[in-house]
Amino acid sequence: MGALAWIMMGIALWHFTIWLPDRFWSGIVGAFVGAVVGAFLFGFLVNGFVIPGRGDTHLLTALEGAPGAVLGMAVVWLEGVRREGAQRATPRPARPAR
Amino acid sequence: MTDRRRNLAVLLLVGLMLVGSVVAIAAKTTRLGLDLKGGVELVYQAKATKFSAVTADAVNRSIEIMRKRVDALGVAEPEIQRSGADQISVSLPDVKNAAQAAAQVGTTAQLFFYDWEKNVLGPDCKPAPTNFSVTGGPSAGSAGALSQYDALARARRCPPVTTGIQSATQTKYYLVDTRTKKVLAGPEDKPSDLKGAAGATANGPIQVWKVNPGTVVVQAESPSTSTSSDKTAKKGPDAYYVLRDDFALRGTDITNPEQNFDQNTQAPNVTFDFTSSGRKKWQQTTQQIAQRGSNFVATSDGQVVSNAQQKFQHFAIVLDNQLISVPYIDYQQNPNGIDGANGSEISGGFTIGSAQALANQLKYGALPVNLELISQSQVSATLGKEALHQGLIAGIVGFAIVAIFLLVFYRLLGVIAVGALVVYAIYLFALIKLIPITLTLPGIAGLILTVGVAADANIVIFERVKEEIRAGRSVPAGIAAGYRKGLAAIIDANVVTFMVAFILFVLSTAGVKGFAFVLGIGTLVSLFTAILLTQAVLGTMARSSLITHPAALGFRKGRKMPWEGFDFMGASKWFFSFSGVILLIGALAIGGKGLKFGIDFESGTRVRAELVKPADENGIRKAIASTPAGGAAEVQRITDKSLGSNAFQISTAELKPSQVSEVTQALQSSYGIKGQPDTQSIGPTFGNTVAKGAVIAVIVSLLVISAYIALRFEWKYAVPVVIALAHDLLITAGVYSLTGREVTTSTIAALLTILGYSLYDTIIVFDRVRENVPRMPRAAFSQIVNRSMTEVVTRSLATSFSTALPILALLLFGGQTLKDFAFALLVGTVSGAYSSIFIASPVLTHWKEREPVYERRSARIRREFGGLVPAYAGSTAGEPTDVAPSESKARPSIFAPDDPSKGVSRTEFDSMVEDLHADAPRRGTATREHEPEPEPDPTADLTPEDLVIKDPKRRDKPKRPRNSRHGRPR
Repeated sequence: MGALAWIMMGIALWHFTIWLPDRFWSGIVGAFVGAVVGAFLFGFLVNGFVIPGRGDTHLLTALEGAPGAVLGMAVVWLEGVRREGAQRATPRPARPAR
Repeated sequence: MTDRRRNLAVLLLVGLMLVGSVVAIAAKTTRLGLDLKGGVELVYQAKATKFSAVTADAVNRSIEIMRKRVDALGVAEPEIQRSGADQISVSLPDVKNAAQAAAQVGTTAQLFFYDWEKNVLGPDCKPAPTNFSVTGGPSAGSAGALSQYDALARARRCPPVTTGIQSATQTKYYLVDTRTKKVLAGPEDKPSDLKGAAGATANGPIQVWKVNPGTVVVQAESPSTSTSSDKTAKKGPDAYYVLRDDFALRGTDITNPEQNFDQNTQAPNVTFDFTSSGRKKWQQTTQQIAQRGSNFVATSDGQVVSNAQQKFQHFAIVLDNQLISVPYIDYQQNPNGIDGANGSEISGGFTIGSAQALANQLKYGALPVNLELISQSQVSATLGKEALHQGLIAGIVGFAIVAIFLLVFYRLLGVIAVGALVVYAIYLFALIKLIPITLTLPGIAGLILTVGVAADANIVIFERVKEEIRAGRSVPAGIAAGYRKGLAAIIDANVVTFMVAFILFVLSTAGVKGFAFVLGIGTLVSLFTAILLTQAVLGTMARSSLITHPAALGFRKGRKMPWEGFDFMGASKWFFSFSGVILLIGALAIGGKGLKFGIDFESGTRVRAELVKPADENGIRKAIASTPAGGAAEVQRITDKSLGSNAFQISTAELKPSQVSEVTQALQSSYGIKGQPDTQSIGPTFGNTVAKGAVIAVIVSLLVISAYIALRFEWKYAVPVVIALAHDLLITAGVYSLTGREVTTSTIAALLTILGYSLYDTIIVFDRVRENVPRMPRAAFSQIVNRSMTEVVTRSLATSFSTALPILALLLFGGQTLKDFAFALLVGTVSGAYSSIFIASPVLTHWKEREPVYERRSARIRREFGGLVPAYAGSTAGEPTDVAPSESKARPSIFAPDDPSKGVSRTEFDSMVEDLHADAPRRGTATREHEPEPEPDPTADLTPEDLVIKDPKRRDKPKRPRNSRHGRPR
């Protein structure tokens, strides 16, 4: 149940990335993956590598997914920006003469 | 064959099938499930014995034996079927005593004969034939027994013995409470199978005890073995013996068991013969027992035994670890043992019924595997009838409102669609009778839902027909084009629904299987009636004056939909945020409140009954306090139309069938019960199976759906679909958490159905995007999607509405089960329609716009339109060209050639080009305006051919050399 709450929180926060310029690595889908994976991993980490069961899931458990989701999306964003920069730095190949 | 002949042939076929269906409906009876006619359902899980592993063959043999036992009970129309790899589901209509049925059908019937004194173990785990306090002496089988706790404490100390004995036992585990000295659960093959074993520790009060192979704990003879249920339901005294498991004979050594009467006392008994090997074993064993008796001179305290009775030694007959009888061998009469030529008998405390039951069990043989009852439910016939009535009302109302909707919205087309729905309903009902499908309550829900599916297919086509007519085609040409173009979307959507139904059927439990089967069959039949039949009817009527007038088709000139020109992609930011907020609330609710799982997942027992005398919760709690339900039971008054106003529900930990009977008897004696109570017991194994099946079903469905979409569209279309589906499932979960509704197996079935329905809408939208991509070779992807949305949003809303109508009927008129089901479906359908438009499409747009070709197009459009990408594609000098043209426009837009086989004519081509370049933007969408524009590229746009989703078959086709001479001689 804890994992469901984290992932749900991650996906909820992902919806707000629509307001950001699309510079995520792999775009909005990359941000989605970042949010879900980040939310899960962070929740898993702060709970000592244990997924809280039904009896152990509280309001706080859901909130634990938020920092992870933001971090996950930030990582995807930074990677996207880095790749954009690298792409721009690469000179465009000359077109062959016809 | 001409179109006219083809249409007539289809109509003739439909007519013949209709007559056949009506005959089938009249001649065949409908097979109703237990939830509609009352009865007992038992679900067993097979467990390995020392002699047989749980294989498909062992389970099938068990089913055969169980079928014979059920036939012996005289139950009409029983259903015994395998469920999954190791479960057996038994449905017994009209049976009213679940405990008795379980005892007679699912008893393993492992019969063993033991040399008693040689095998009863004393405190030191060794046989003590002369110790009467161990063997019971002359009262063997009842005296000298221990409590179950003490017997286990003795048995767990015995070392494993696997050689030199004929043993049937394997290692067994029990859960005990050392404070109260009670055995809480067991025996089980694994500690993890023990319910509540999670709280056990090695030195704590709750412990898991292990009994090694070679030692068996058997229950003493019941003092009053007067009823069959007492004899076989393992309800007996807390008196047990510990035996060395070294049996002399087993059930396979006897033949011809029969219920008979003792010649002296006329008491019922069970007589049987021996097989040839059994006869030898029998004589040897009884001879050994007789000789031991003759040698027996004194008790352990040294006193000389003078009473011959005290010298008599015994053998024990043990059935499923319970002593049936412990007779003695008279060493004086049978010094050389008993010859088994005349067979033998088991007697003692039988009624005719219990003797018959035992004889039958022995006759049909022991089950090759042990069966554990993991779920049992009992539905009263009255409640079943009421549920059927409610289901039928919901069905009729659902059908009626869908029909009204179609008539109002589509006029004459609606009449044809309603006719097709009637034909569909008749076909489906005939198939249900012919196959035959056991109609259950979830099956009725499936039936009602498929009415929505069938209507959806018609709506998709009719909207397409209207669109074609709006675009300037004649009515006959519009009908032909509408069917041709709408077919792909309908087939895609129905294939997905069918696949979800199939997955549900394979992975779900028995109740949901009925729903899945009806949904699957209904989807196939609806394809036939909604496409072939309506097309044939319309084709036949195409030239008639009835249909040539556009108004007859519900088509009004000059009517503009409010969303025409709406910037869907621009507004999607707000809808995304709206979804985000809802999911945020849902996540907090899941964290804070969690989900309320029903006993299908949690395991436990639920008793629902309408009481005769007025009662309250406290009174009922007191009445059942002395029963196994105890004081911890949750009692609540329930408001269910079918149960009346004085109805209560008792929820407790899982009880055995006999314990459930104790609870209902306590209610009966205190308050009286109207009719039969509804009872349901689910074991943890069954709950785990259900939960595991649900998770697997959801994952497999998502994978299959993704694969299908990737195959039919493009893999980039599959990802938004999965995201939209996840959105729908999570929103439904959030709503369930917020409202505190119970999650049952029906909810899971509904969730999976939501996957199919949500996809229906998404496929309709994506299908149009796919169609528009090559038509708009210079448009940004957001413009293509906006255009596609404008074109299909009416039909998307109409299909969702037509699906929601029967669901609403289920919610308002169905019984409790159908209401639960309908609630999940309603939330999912609304969420599905919303997510198709405002989640899946924007995600697809954002993702596709990153592709270089669309990036370049967007850059070009922004340059042309001052930094903005207009919502709809157009030129710099006029109105948008790709919004559906108004009716007053002189020349209609053309999107495809009238006759595709002849290709695009010159006039059509010019018209298309004119459409693409004529007009100016209407409204701007500031997409990616903050990003740096890519450098202009002379190869900015690809050709239309490059943008078409390529047909792999065509791609590989070798190029033929151009023949410019066209057959002229060189």
